[in-house]
Amino acid sequence: MNANIALKNTYDGSSTDSLGKFTFSTSETGLKTIQFSALNYETDSVPVDLNNRNVTLHLTIKPSIILLETVAISAGYFIAGDGKKGAVLSALDIATTAGTNADIFAAQQTLPGAQTSFSESGLFVRGGSAAETKTYFDGMLLKSPFNATVPDQASRGRLSAFLFKGTSFSAGGYSAQYGQALSSALLLETTDLPDKTTTGISLLSVGIGVDQNIRFKNSALTIGGAYYNLGPTYQLIKQQHNYVRVPEQFSGSLQYKHKTSSTGMFKIYATYGESRLALLRDNINAPLAPNYFSNKNHNIYINSTYKAYLNSRWKLDAGLAYDQTEDTGLQSADQYHRADHMSNGKITLTNYFGKLSNFKFGAETFNTGRTESLNGLEQAYTDQLSAGFAETDLFLTEKLVLRLGARTEYSSYLQKTNLAPRSSLGLKNGRNSQLSFAYGRFYQNPEDEYLVRKALDFEIANHYILKYEINTAQRNFRIEGYYKDYNHLTKEILNDLSNSGSGYARGFELFWRDKKTIKNGDYYISYSFLDTKRNFRDFPALATPAFAAKHTAAVVYKQFMESIQTQIGATYSFASGRPYVNPNNPVYLADRTRNYNSLSLTVSHLTQLFNQFTVLYLNTNNVTGFTNVYGYQYSSDGLSRRAILPAAKRNLIVGILITIGDNTFVR
Amino acid sequence: MKNLTLSFILLLVMISFNSFAQANNDKFQTGVKKGLDMLKTAESPADFLKTSNYFDRIAQVETKEWLPPYYAAYANLIAGLTSKDKSLQDQYYDKALLQINQADALSAENSEIYALKGYIQYMKMSIDPQARLSFMSASKTSLGKAQALNPENPRIYLINGQNTFYTPETFGGGKVKAKPILENAVAKFAIFKPASTIAPVWGAERAKTLLAQCN
Repeated sequence: MNANIALKNTYDGSSTDSLGKFTFSTSETGLKTIQFSALNYETDSVPVDLNNRNVTLHLTIKPSIILLETVAISAGYFIAGDGKKGAVLSALDIATTAGTNADIFAAQQTLPGAQTSFSESGLFVRGGSAAETKTYFDGMLLKSPFNATVPDQASRGRLSAFLFKGTSFSAGGYSAQYGQALSSALLLETTDLPDKTTTGISLLSVGIGVDQNIRFKNSALTIGGAYYNLGPTYQLIKQQHNYVRVPEQFSGSLQYKHKTSSTGMFKIYATYGESRLALLRDNINAPLAPNYFSNKNHNIYINSTYKAYLNSRWKLDAGLAYDQTEDTGLQSADQYHRADHMSNGKITLTNYFGKLSNFKFGAETFNTGRTESLNGLEQAYTDQLSAGFAETDLFLTEKLVLRLGARTEYSSYLQKTNLAPRSSLGLKNGRNSQLSFAYGRFYQNPEDEYLVRKALDFEIANHYILKYEINTAQRNFRIEGYYKDYNHLTKEILNDLSNSGSGYARGFELFWRDKKTIKNGDYYISYSFLDTKRNFRDFPALATPAFAAKHTAAVVYKQFMESIQTQIGATYSFASGRPYVNPNNPVYLADRTRNYNSLSLTVSHLTQLFNQFTVLYLNTNNVTGFTNVYGYQYSSDGLSRRAILPAAKRNLIVGILITIGDNTFVR
Repeated sequence: MKNLTLSFILLLVMISFNSFAQANNDKFQTGVKKGLDMLKTAESPADFLKTSNYFDRIAQVETKEWLPPYYAAYANLIAGLTSKDKSLQDQYYDKALLQINQADALSAENSEIYALKGYIQYMKMSIDPQARLSFMSASKTSLGKAQALNPENPRIYLINGQNTFYTPETFGGGKVKAKPILENAVAKFAIFKPASTIAPVWGAERAKTLLAQCN
């Protein structure tokens, strides 16, 4: 194993053989020191008396702390990257996953725990609704992460995957740093300074985008702009809805990063976006009078964070963020208007102690609210939500870690306080394997659409998670089981709102990723089993919600072919039938749609265009043309129904991505 | 007379000091040469690790010399190149990076050190190119610095040519682009004079072999 045995202050010594044996001779005499060291072991030494002719030594060497082999907080977190920290899908991972069109949220849906949901925006995690998954941008809560929504269709995330160095997806049991999320947290971490000044140009069948990166010595500025128009695509690919005005979107962004010291980093990101669309939707009650829907959306998001080590033991994280989204339009003949806002300030101090342990505490405050109106009748609310949190990761040994934390929140609008304990335990039971357990209590405010009507109480979820995983550099396996109970969910009975809703979710998930078996190939398989029932919103009884399929599976495969410099990717997604409400069935939500199947392909060819690094990109969804049904809408008499279908049976995007100023792909 | 005696003693002291220093220097020279012989005969990753361990032992004693950590890093790099296990390779390269930084701390602004550093960084990148593109530019920066410090160092062109050779064409690499760089390397090797008998001389054969493959 090649441990280095050295007679201190001399060149003499030896390396151990495969059995751990060594011999050497020396001309030195007297009392000396033998120093021994090896890769991944701690250097140690013993005294030796060389006045004896032959010296026999039995040396034992202690393993050193290596991140990979040290236990980590892991329950609920998804680990896909090189397994060092939490859960990581890199921007390139996302962009090369077939069927996602480089959308952060679509990519997470190939991971265990998340439903494949194409009729509503957001991530539906382990029986939770989309509103129960919250997105955090560099630790700051992002209120409106999605583009404007078309009825019965999921919309893309607002932010480009290439802003982030990693996205980490937690399906439960997350840290006390994150609040206001009942079911899941999606953590996005922005990239640091770019290496070089470069220009990125994207020419896509759906629009164009330009980014200019300017690198200074210790800072960098990025200016970006994009225009998307789905008109040409919609002419080629028949859409489910009849568009009066095809979706069109403008956006611009500005990003500045400054390395303030060897450990300090200041970042500010600001973006503005605007979109419009109008369409006619089939009307099941009056087929000759389709429903008109139009939307004009504009949004602003500003995020600024600062982090630095104050000294070797203390780290400071601080942030300010502002988010504003406004939607206006017509729904049939009704004029609607909706404005959401959120300002968020957060400060966290972390103290590192011992070899690996840390203690962090902090506070944050949100000013959030909504104003909405229908034909001029207005409702609004504003909430000042303040929170404090403290948490410690205590390494009892290198193989055993305990996380204990708590978070407390006060909402001025609800006039309520909550206290949420969080805990997690990790036990390394083998070189590459780990067992984890987590328990946590999670609170969140009811959704805005209810809060504008009434100040309610916090909704509550308890998570219990047990996980076993085996991680090596090239392969990951995990199995995770969980039980969650939900209480105080918002319930609507005869137009009255209360917190009398409740429910449960239980299930297990499997994940296998292998980058080793196939040369230049990478594949993963995920499977989720979900058993959940809820009585919330306007449900008349406990039932499995429409967004919860019992079985969900995905197979994602990527292969780089060096000879033709092309990466191909394929994603197969499966979901068993989703529940839907059939007014003719006395049991609520008892019917199931057909199973969902989709096979998507993507091809990226790397080449040079005008001597600049270029990627030719093609993504197509549902190549084999499976007919997928998300649910049914019944006529008011219950006699006829309309299937809720994907926006288009198949979808296709082609594009050219050019990077000027570097040979490498930098976006 | 007294003065003369004193001078004589001083002279003796000086001579003995000098010869002591000489002996010590001889020991170092012989020690490094022994290690270079080990490098020449090494074949397996285990052989290279043994060599690296050996140079590490010298480095522990000769705390002012940059060559021992330099050769220890080089031997670890080659141990990685000859090893098949990716996670081991990664660890050897990490160790090599530590050692080359140690050499850099002892001999600042040294072209040979930056050249080797650029080599190691490129190999770090090659373990997982998609996730480690930052090592690519770090490697370029190191090699650029090596060239600025001594444009006559042939190893810079060998490493640069080799990196280009193994980088796909679309990423700005390929045989066509590597060829002129390797030709330059071969030319520079032909006229290169090492600073001492133990200074780095490696790479001439490798440059020729790679150049032959470009045709």
